[in-house]
Amino acid sequence: MTSGLRKAHTYIWLVLIIIVPVIMFFSIKDLNVFSSENNTVSQHTDLKKDSLKSFENDIVKMAVFESHVEIILKTTLKSSSSIVYDVDEKGNKSNVIGQLTTAGVYKFNINNLPKGIIIYDDLKQVEITKFSL
Amino acid sequence: MGLDYQLVLWNKYKKTYDKIIVASMLFYIIVFAIVTLVFNSETSVETLVIRAFGSLAIIMLHVILVIGPLARLNTRFLPILYNRRHLGVLMFIAAFIHGGFSMFQFHALGDVNPIYSVFTSNMDYGSLTNFPFQVLGFFALLILFVMASTSHDFFLGNLSAKVWKRLHMMVYLAYALSIAHVFLGAFQQETSPFTIGIMAIGFVIVASLHLITAFKERKIDNTKTEEKEGWLEVCNISEIEEDRAKIFTIANERVAIFKYEGKLSAIHNVCKHQGGPLGEGKIIDGCITCPWHGYQYLPSNGQSPPPFTEKVATYELKLKGEIVYINPEAFDEGTEVKPCKI
Repeated sequence: MTSGLRKAHTYIWLVLIIIVPVIMFFSIKDLNVFSSENNTVSQHTDLKKDSLKSFENDIVKMAVFESHVEIILKTTLKSSSSIVYDVDEKGNKSNVIGQLTTAGVYKFNINNLPKGIIIYDDLKQVEITKFSL
Repeated sequence: MGLDYQLVLWNKYKKTYDKIIVASMLFYIIVFAIVTLVFNSETSVETLVIRAFGSLAIIMLHVILVIGPLARLNTRFLPILYNRRHLGVLMFIAAFIHGGFSMFQFHALGDVNPIYSVFTSNMDYGSLTNFPFQVLGFFALLILFVMASTSHDFFLGNLSAKVWKRLHMMVYLAYALSIAHVFLGAFQQETSPFTIGIMAIGFVIVASLHLITAFKERKIDNTKTEEKEGWLEVCNISEIEEDRAKIFTIANERVAIFKYEGKLSAIHNVCKHQGGPLGEGKIIDGCITCPWHGYQYLPSNGQSPPPFTEKVATYELKLKGEIVYINPEAFDEGTEVKPCKI
């Protein structure tokens, strides 16, 4: 290798050793890798205080308010399409409220108090979970 | 292109290495599939393929990136360096399967071009946690494709060693893009401290080895040699082994002084093929033989024996008693210089 190439390699790695750890740090700093469950529990406890109704199962924790629904998705779902619907009077899914992707806290606005909430996989056409108010 | 032209010059060693690499890749894919199906039986075949080949490609990329510095630090790794290009092409194939299945599963079933969809299905470029990470993987795959498709000596010869080397140094950009692709993609959904830790340790190992090698080489480059009347005193003749060389730095460039058949000859240390260190090779059949890929040069004129056309610069030597002196002014590549008789 020529001296020019040796220098180029050195500078490239000096740049990478600065940039790559920065990318790593900022991409995982909000993930709560080591304590995600505890954080969602505490957030949900706070939510419960003012909510009209709250539910919980293995997949989600949910609190319904007058103007919005807050959902804490405990773990990322295996389905590639997880749509949140409200439920009509017949118990069927009606309007789309929002979409879930990765684990975390979601807040969706609602116009009317729903009869229930369904999380539905539109691709596989499978009901993931359902709550009735 | 002659009658005996062969696209890839395999020999028995290359065949053995390639068999080991392919067997290792298959072993990894099978183990990955078994572990996935045992612990996560609902995983679809497409997802299994995407994850298995994606993780395989990133592991192979780490292995490829440590081969260079390891070979500089310890010559026992040179045989692996000799076979690195095949490893690189196989790594690209693994990355291509990962990328191809991902494009098919997530972008091919819509009403827009899958490649257009990669760039437009998620436009949240301002977010870190919801960044369109597939774009990063796409560019990394593009770089790896260019590298894999030009890895043949045909392109090395036609592009010139300088252009070819610069093109292939883009692997470092592909590596950074791949890490960002994994951290902003897979790790946003599978927040396992184990996998994140493995990737972080992998980067630390790769970066450390490259920097250790760089600083070691820099130390050699900064070695000063005493000059007397236009000649540099380099060493005692006893310091050079028979059919081997001693390497010296002259004006930031390295020169290899070979001792053979009662003579001394000096040539530029950098092989024209892929920049291998000629002075770390030895004289075989009267030719200086590069330790990386076996390219050969005649010690007296720095020319590859016919029909090959590679040439390196030559230097004039003189001997005073036991001390070897070199004229730091290099002759043009391939210039005949009378060997210094011992």
